[in-house]
Amino acid sequence: MKSEAKTVIIGGGIIGLSIAYNLAKLGAEDVVVLEKSYLGNGSTFRCGTGIRQQFGDEANIRMMKRSVELWKGMKEELGYDVEFKQSGYLFLLYDEEELESFKANVRLQNRFGIPSRIISPDEAKMIVPPLNTEGVIAAAWNHTDGKANPFRAVFAYANAAKKLGVEIYEYTEARDIKVEDGKIRAVLTNRGEIKTGRVINAANAWAPLINKMAGIPVEIPIHPYKHQGIKTEPIKPGQIEPMVISFKHGGVYLTQEANQGGVIGGYELKYGPTYDITPTYEFLRGVSYRFTQLIPALKYVNVIRIWGGFYAETPDHNAAIGRINEVDEFYIAAGFSGHGFMLAPAVGEAVAELIMDGKTDKPLDFYDPYRFERGELRQQAIQMG
Amino acid sequence: MRLNEHPILDFSKRRGREITVYFEGTPIKAYEGETIAMALHAAGIRVLSHSSEKHRPRGLFCAIGKCSSCLVKVNGIPNVRSCITLVEEGMRIEMQRGKEELPKTAKPPEWKDAPKFDADVVIIGGGPAGLMAAINAADAGASVILIDEQPMLGGQLVKQTHKFFGKREQFAGVRGIKIAEILEEEARKRRSIKIFLETSAVGIFQEGDKKLVIAVRKNKELLEFRGKSIVVATGAMEKMIPFENNDLPGIYGAGAIQTLMNTYGVKPGDRVLIVGAGNVGLILAYQLIQAGVEVKAIVEAMPKVGGYFVHAAKVRRLGVPILTRHTILRAEGKEKVERAVVAKLDENWRPIPGTERVFDVDVIALAVGLRPSIELLHQAGCQLLYIRELGGHVVRRDERLETTISGIFVAGDTAGIEEATTAMLEGKIAGIAAALKAGAASPEWLREIEKAQEDLKEFRSGPFGRHVLEGIKKVMVVRE
Repeated sequence: MKSEAKTVIIGGGIIGLSIAYNLAKLGAEDVVVLEKSYLGNGSTFRCGTGIRQQFGDEANIRMMKRSVELWKGMKEELGYDVEFKQSGYLFLLYDEEELESFKANVRLQNRFGIPSRIISPDEAKMIVPPLNTEGVIAAAWNHTDGKANPFRAVFAYANAAKKLGVEIYEYTEARDIKVEDGKIRAVLTNRGEIKTGRVINAANAWAPLINKMAGIPVEIPIHPYKHQGIKTEPIKPGQIEPMVISFKHGGVYLTQEANQGGVIGGYELKYGPTYDITPTYEFLRGVSYRFTQLIPALKYVNVIRIWGGFYAETPDHNAAIGRINEVDEFYIAAGFSGHGFMLAPAVGEAVAELIMDGKTDKPLDFYDPYRFERGELRQQAIQMG
Repeated sequence: MRLNEHPILDFSKRRGREITVYFEGTPIKAYEGETIAMALHAAGIRVLSHSSEKHRPRGLFCAIGKCSSCLVKVNGIPNVRSCITLVEEGMRIEMQRGKEELPKTAKPPEWKDAPKFDADVVIIGGGPAGLMAAINAADAGASVILIDEQPMLGGQLVKQTHKFFGKREQFAGVRGIKIAEILEEEARKRRSIKIFLETSAVGIFQEGDKKLVIAVRKNKELLEFRGKSIVVATGAMEKMIPFENNDLPGIYGAGAIQTLMNTYGVKPGDRVLIVGAGNVGLILAYQLIQAGVEVKAIVEAMPKVGGYFVHAAKVRRLGVPILTRHTILRAEGKEKVERAVVAKLDENWRPIPGTERVFDVDVIALAVGLRPSIELLHQAGCQLLYIRELGGHVVRRDERLETTISGIFVAGDTAGIEEATTAMLEGKIAGIAAALKAGAASPEWLREIEKAQEDLKEFRSGPFGRHVLEGIKKVMVVRE
């Protein structure tokens, strides 16, 4: 392990790795990523795999539009297939109120060039043949949304970053951060000390602990909530291509893996704040009920896996991204509230630009880590899939 | 083909009413009480599915619900394990072709609360370990739930036609099938034991200070079992070894062949090559001959026979060659096994060119060892370690077989591969310990645990036991 580095990124999930890759791409030298477990184990490997641009606010729409561009080119750029597929996102709508709010979202999305639209239940059924459209009055549909394989994406970023000289240390936990006169001096780990002048907190659910180590005086409320996912045995791929979502059924989301064909998903049930991720029967039963309401034929399909993971939640369900003024060269990109995987390519690019160029054309102001302290919460982001 | 005459077994009482099922539209005769895979095999059907990527033909392999080689579609529903699902009159069975499409029409299921059952001790697995755990937990004063995904109790004992070794109180001189009958009778006559068959445990969750075991009965119905403690005795599954075409229908685990011929009276084939000359391979050879099947040879990669001398001598006397330092190179055949090619190995385990021999066989039996079925314990969060001496991943546990999760006990092959006698002794220990943990037994039952521990020690004092003891030492949790 290095004893000195220009930049230390804490957190080996897709956010930390995307930042590392983008920093190196912009010419940053001497970048180190610390992961206390194995890469992706925190939240990335536990995510719902969805990638969507159907948000209800300008900043998230713009960030996700850029992300999707990057996801599309990722296979070429990183030299590894991350199984990104633009299979769409389908929000099922059951009453006028829901429909009106989604119509407004679609208008906003269209303004930024996202081709989302409101479709009929029959069209929805054509997109997802085994769908139960009973009670559905319309659906919000965007065919340029999609999904990717989180395991492959983490691997792709990590390998591409390594090729550009980034050093990645797994099973290396940040235990303390030495700060003197408002300047970072070193990160202490279970494997020794790394002298450094710059730290990027990409620890998501554990980000508050890292802030505390550095003595960050700003209140950045991030709380770990346990969410869960399930996966079924594989069925013929292509039957449930898009991410299918219903708020009426407790925020259930599900889709089929692009290649293997297992159905994965979850719903809004959460526990916490907690660092426990033991799966629960309440979830297994709840998600089985909701899956089979949406896709009745899933009652014939066996569940093969259930797991827990974190939504690192902020009060407005948007991440805290930016520079911390009180400690020189301390940055944070955490609290993604369930959207870290999909946002990672654009966030990595934006944070790298901010560090290397001092500015970025991406709307990072929206994710201003000081907004909580100032009481300027954003409109709650749609927290889904 | 069905076996009707057998020197030891009488199949007529096992076979229920004759019924008709349909395979790919063709009517097939079957008997109530037998599984889909057995009925199809008896009708000469070997190919049950095609693999999802390369569309290779697949057939039965383990016959006890542990692999996914025999999946079929039943009445339009894919991914049904044909080896543990019983036939029903008029059943429409189709070959599974890779990953299947969902049925076109389906209504959301009726959603109601799952039936709930409570007991002091919930035992998963009704083989020798689970049955002994149930009987002893009940005798110690606990109410017991015993569940098994097979349609019958006894685990792998139900196909063991040979007589056991050991002490009289450990059923020495009694055939395995008879031991299964005795244990089942003992379990059934205890009112405090409730038995659920064709019920697959699929998850263990903590619920307050209770353990919740989720199970699915007959592939349809969700059941909830709550216990103060649980014993996991889910046995083992057969290992596979790599060789060309090792997925061809007609290549079975040794246990699957015993299930076919000893449990259901179905002739596995006409000419067999056995891979592995441990006790399982040797006993299998003898049983095949008993059932009127020709055993062409037994190949064994080690320089000498691994099983007991008496078994090997018996098999040799019957004219079966045991080829040590030989291995299987490949299976050949179009849709099922038609030939097996074996070769001699050099000192470095490499096949020696020019030593290939071809055997005309329609069955290849793999008797190459077992690995513990630890999936449920893994899901429950018990600590696991890979221990070669015990056959693979096993859980850490203490002297009373309690795992690293308080109230979850383990017994039998799940705890490490041995054999039925040790499984029964471990079942006894785990059953009583689970009853004590549940607060249902008085402390004097500790003496019974000590007795069983002594018996285990004695039984493991031989050379095979030393190997196992080495393994156990590595997983033992010492509690204060």
